[in-house]
Amino acid sequence: MAHSDKPKQPKILILATLAGGYAGADATGQVHLDYPANTYILPVMSPVMFPPEFFLRAFERGIDAIIIMYSGTDSPYKVEADGTASLVNRTYTLMKTRGIDIRRLRLAAICTVCVKPFLKEVNQMADLLKGIGFVKDEITAPAAAQAKGA
Amino acid sequence: MPENTPNPESPAPVEPEEIRVGVYTCHCGGNISHVVQCERVAKMVGKLANVAVSRTDPSFCSDAGQAIIEQDIKELGINRVVIGACAPSLHEQTFRGAVTRAGLNPYLYHHVGLREQDSWVHASDEEGATEKAMRLMAAGVAKARLLDPLDPIRLGAEKQALVIGGGVAGLRAALDIARQGIRVTLVEKSPFLGGRMAQLESIFPTDEKPRQLLHDLIQAVTAQVGITIFTQAEVTGVSGYVGNFSIQVTQHARGVSPEMAEALTAACTQETPDPFNYSLTRRKVIYQPYPGCYPAAPAVDWQHYDGQPIQVNGKSIVLQDDALVHELIAGAIVLATGFDPYEPRQGEYGYGELSQVITLPQLIRHMALVKNGETLTWNGHPVRSAAIIHCVGSRELDGVHEPQADGQVNNYCSRVCCTASLHTALEMRQRFPRLNIYELYQDIRAYGRGHEEIYRHTQNAAVRFVRYHGDDGPKVIAAPKGDPYPVLVQVKDYLTYGEEIEIPVDLVVLAVGMMPRQVDDLVNMLKISRGADRFLLEAHPKLRPVEMAVRGIILAGTAQGPMNIQESLAAASAAAAKAASLLSLGKVELPPFVARVDPAKCNGNGACVTACLEEGAIALQTFVENGVEVQRAVVTPANCTGCGACVGACPNRAIDVQAWTLAQYDAMVDAIAMDWPELVEVEK
Repeated sequence: MAHSDKPKQPKILILATLAGGYAGADATGQVHLDYPANTYILPVMSPVMFPPEFFLRAFERGIDAIIIMYSGTDSPYKVEADGTASLVNRTYTLMKTRGIDIRRLRLAAICTVCVKPFLKEVNQMADLLKGIGFVKDEITAPAAAQAKGA
Repeated sequence: MPENTPNPESPAPVEPEEIRVGVYTCHCGGNISHVVQCERVAKMVGKLANVAVSRTDPSFCSDAGQAIIEQDIKELGINRVVIGACAPSLHEQTFRGAVTRAGLNPYLYHHVGLREQDSWVHASDEEGATEKAMRLMAAGVAKARLLDPLDPIRLGAEKQALVIGGGVAGLRAALDIARQGIRVTLVEKSPFLGGRMAQLESIFPTDEKPRQLLHDLIQAVTAQVGITIFTQAEVTGVSGYVGNFSIQVTQHARGVSPEMAEALTAACTQETPDPFNYSLTRRKVIYQPYPGCYPAAPAVDWQHYDGQPIQVNGKSIVLQDDALVHELIAGAIVLATGFDPYEPRQGEYGYGELSQVITLPQLIRHMALVKNGETLTWNGHPVRSAAIIHCVGSRELDGVHEPQADGQVNNYCSRVCCTASLHTALEMRQRFPRLNIYELYQDIRAYGRGHEEIYRHTQNAAVRFVRYHGDDGPKVIAAPKGDPYPVLVQVKDYLTYGEEIEIPVDLVVLAVGMMPRQVDDLVNMLKISRGADRFLLEAHPKLRPVEMAVRGIILAGTAQGPMNIQESLAAASAAAAKAASLLSLGKVELPPFVARVDPAKCNGNGACVTACLEEGAIALQTFVENGVEVQRAVVTPANCTGCGACVGACPNRAIDVQAWTLAQYDAMVDAIAMDWPELVEVEK
């Protein structure tokens, strides 16, 4: 099938810690368990490095959902568990002001052997996107409505 | 250690070099190319800005594959390299080596995982997997354009090692390291050295006496200069990094002085089940596990001592655990924490419900307590017939076997139990010639040198073999009242095409597998990984088989997975060689993934200092710029863990983690998010 015949798929970005989610994704691959291909995993040392603006920018560029797969309290970094939770909360606040459904950003503790939790998170997000669609529609809709009203 | 803030007044670098990216999409011997159309990926990526060459190869990790990359760097002036292949944990180091050999800075290379995270998980969606590979490789190129050359952090390394575990692997590792001139501290949790091996009476395939072998090894260890032994001790704190771990060891008191040991032991009346005999017998809470143990002095079992006074010569003595805390420095840590036998759950093959069901380790200890020439008895009755069931707690199947408390089943093979069962059956045949012995097995895995001979000898020794299937295992039930034997084993025998047979026995022996020892505290303190089987996980099964992903932490023996004694010793010597080679130079190199401040953007607001939880990693310092005193953040690389908490906190984007910068992530996100029809529609 030519690519142009294929309906456009929403994109899920997964920021996965080297000490947790990234190794969990590798473990899932080692047992050859399928999940949707519209998932893009980037390794991170720790997600605390990202300011909320990073996530907003990613949504605005067309990333439809982001799952942060961190190591939680098992992290090698003292700051990761509380720091990431705080970061996500701050990002949720900003997402609401921009009309972005906060379910598009999810925080999940995934360990190096968490195959089933990894699959659950990815499949749940893929299912959610089937319902709520592309982020660009969400971002442009309020702006268009505002323009129309003016 | 240089601090990680460039001099604000230093001149800006001259003309940036032209970025020339080499992109290499590996077939991985078909592992990737059977799903991902690698040629399309290479063609698409070849159209991206700055990409000077884009190639595919059946196996870039091979010598020939690496040579292609090296040649491109030298001949085409490639100054950034992106490789799409298996997981970075497997071959990132391999490719860094290739890049370095070609004269390029090793950190001008980026690895994209296309196997575990693409072809192996999207086999049913070739088009989707191919598009994903294109986007991930494009993201890799986007990152590579922004990579800077970096130097590793070089630190002094203490020529001292810590070995955790005083079983056969820990003893061997400690001895081998110390013989290289490196001081060793050996920490053993129990009061005595020797570990599980001391509980055996004879070891295959040589039939040697294990306690004699241990005695010789312990004698060599205690005679070796440079080894300090702490028994009844645990690691209770670890900080630092390879070359310079700070370690806290808490050592319990032995509890009895040498001069009072005999009298106190004689007077002690409190007893507890004896773990040395797997609770088949009882012992006092002041104890020695066996004659000839090391150290020879008895010790108090603090876990079971009830605190009641012991009457000696008219005196009332309460034993006191005056624990000591030792602070150590070590450049490397060897984990030889060993294994525990699988404990069958209540009712599994009748275990815990029928008193005639025991485990193989229990049988070995029970036979050790039966004098030569005596009859084998159980519950006071002679044993006329015994069945050994293999693969209990090993090779379990999801959906067939009941999961353990953590929701997992042991789907791995414990490797050692087949030969251990056969070896025990042979010993039973020799000592109790009239005994009927049955081996109920799935497959016989007598894989080691001399093990197949033990299998043949057992076959020729009138031991009867019955083969069952893993999803249709034996059932152990109480025999009806009046039956001549107390227990029946019902099983479908696939050696006779599934015939259902019933074996009447006096004793059922469960050949239990190996379980990883519970070392949650160490795992959390050292931030190390466990595999899917819950054993400690090596960095790479072939390329770094005894090293962990955390540098300076090395594995020895069954902490890593099921092994026999011979294999444990080999692994321990390998671990010792790794520790010695790491520490012998007195210095180590760490990856340069630490924070770096851009002084041109830093306004000294201190948000990064507030956000950082690592002691001494970042601080504000005063500089003079244009005659004015200003504050700027300064990173101390040796104390920085590279978490990036400072990066997220800085409102000016004035600080980044080297090789993991926010700008690189923005660029990767753009490559993934981009609408890209002209690229993904590259001609097939």
